Amino acid sequence: MIPSLLDVRHCSVMDARGQALIHDVSLSVRESECIGIIGESGSGKTMTARALLGLLSEDLKLQAEAMILGGQDLLTLSPKARRQVISSTIGFVPQNTVAYLHPLIRIRNQITDGYLAQGLGTPKEALVKAEQLLASVGIQDPQRVLNNYPGELSGGMRQRVNIAMALMCDPQLILADEPTTALDPIVQKQVTELFFQLHQTRHVALLMISHNLNLLRKYCDRIVVMYAGQIVEAGPTAEVYDYPQHPYTQALISVIPQLDQDPNLPLAEIPGFVPEKDRDRTSCLFADRCRLCTPECRQPLTIQEETAHFVRCRNAEGV
Amino acid sequence: MFRLISKRLFSALAVMFVVSLITFMVLKWIPGDPAQLILGTEATPESLEALRTSMGLNLPWTAQYARWLGNLLQGDWGTSYLFGENVRTLILQRLPVTFSLTLFSMILAVCFSAGLGIVSALFQGSWIDRLSRSLMQLGAAIPAFWLGMIFMILFAAQLHWFPVTGYTPPAEGISAYLHSLALPSIILAIGESGVLIRLFRSSMLSALNQDFMQSAQIKGLPRTTAILKYALRSAMIAPITVIGSQTAKLFGGTVIIETIFALPGIGRLLLTSVEQRDIQLLQGIVLFITLMVVLFNFITDMLVIAANPLIRMESGGNEV
Repeated sequence: MIPSLLDVRHCSVMDARGQALIHDVSLSVRESECIGIIGESGSGKTMTARALLGLLSEDLKLQAEAMILGGQDLLTLSPKARRQVISSTIGFVPQNTVAYLHPLIRIRNQITDGYLAQGLGTPKEALVKAEQLLASVGIQDPQRVLNNYPGELSGGMRQRVNIAMALMCDPQLILADEPTTALDPIVQKQVTELFFQLHQTRHVALLMISHNLNLLRKYCDRIVVMYAGQIVEAGPTAEVYDYPQHPYTQALISVIPQLDQDPNLPLAEIPGFVPEKDRDRTSCLFADRCRLCTPECRQPLTIQEETAHFVRCRNAEGV
Repeated sequence: MFRLISKRLFSALAVMFVVSLITFMVLKWIPGDPAQLILGTEATPESLEALRTSMGLNLPWTAQYARWLGNLLQGDWGTSYLFGENVRTLILQRLPVTFSLTLFSMILAVCFSAGLGIVSALFQGSWIDRLSRSLMQLGAAIPAFWLGMIFMILFAAQLHWFPVTGYTPPAEGISAYLHSLALPSIILAIGESGVLIRLFRSSMLSALNQDFMQSAQIKGLPRTTAILKYALRSAMIAPITVIGSQTAKLFGGTVIIETIFALPGIGRLLLTSVEQRDIQLLQGIVLFITLMVVLFNFITDMLVIAANPLIRMESGGNEV
């Protein structure tokens, strides 16, 4: 059994009024594993990532049984020690590529400063490493890019710089939050492939948040499906994709347009909206939109945990 | 880059030219005959005519303007009717007072506002934030002349910390020089601080909310480094522009404070020239103040360009 690099147990985030934003999220990533989190907008994917990174805004409240990262429980550490563990273990690649790099600072001065702050080497070593990493993420002219300001680079280039920056401190886990959303399709494909290539050559674990199921299916070992702030299904990619148990997952897969489908037919959709309220209730959150909903679905749900294929639905087979 | 600077330089010159033209024409049109003013009501028509001819007052206005501008460019700013001295000499004599006053009050205002504004942004909602917001309101609401008199009574007349009025040049002792300018500088600084505190606070707040602050945290930078290197770097751009225009404004706008504290600066000279209809002097001062405003705005532009690589890129990005 490969040890867990990241183990989040029963994590919830509440806003100032006590309204749950994500509820009872449990997630574990083993070393050099690749995990995909998928869900609609507002399903709590990004909130989960922010909770992990310690980036929740101050009016939000985090509650969890444990958040173990690299063998240490983040919840028991001081804020400073927590930031240190996070920054030395996780490399983060954000969704927004415009303001994540400081627009007024040259790349060379912001790609190296984390490395230097963590005391990993001299400024010279940092620059050499930055140059190598920039080359390894497919930048033709690292010397020039180091001297550029972010505004002088294209979106794809900036995202490559972000990826190189995330790798500067040799993280054991890369957390990427919809890293290709702001890019055009060709660059999207290049950047996505770069991620999985890095994952394979560097044996670094990858936690990829996306709303593109096809992309996750191609590369990830396991897939986690989130809905309205809860995990509704999680399991090995092949099982989740080929034998989805939760009606929501089934619906997600069924709405993916197929290349050979009749162009005159309307695109499939899931009717209704993601609920914003009562995300911490114990009955099924998807019931209102579910085509298989029965009166029992309105009752509190008991879920079996610690299974390889987790499903939050009473009608699922084998649960 | 070079194109941008020369563009700004050209527009500065254009402003100077237009202002000189307007000043000249306005002063030409206001009633009153300079020759009569100089010679008095007892003068004979012949002597008046002779003076007008020697001053060029009987030439068409275009010729007069060209002559004035030509002299100006050669360094001859004309002669003050009132003082009987070269206008340039008069201005340069009073320049140190106004210059020191502007400099000290801007240094005070910037240090005070930057400190208070940044700290209130970092501790948003704390007592210091509320205090600075109250000070902002007060600074903007209290008229300088009133505050000037209160300070004069309190700190000069009663506590004797500073002289009541007057100016001591630095040659007669640095300490006395600083003391003579302290009260007026503080009062001018308070007047400018209101806007600056608000600006420092809001631009710092917006910088702290930018994604690059998260980037800094995830990279493991200590909070202080993140604030100093990342947040301050973007928070200072907006204040630079305002500080520049405030400095320019103070150069021509210290009339009231100079009068209250009896400081022999350019503001007082301006007031005298207006009261006495000393047209040559007035023209010279207006043009000088314009020159200073244009100069400070130009310097500000250059500083903003230096501080903001984005502007450098927008203008002719081929050298990057």
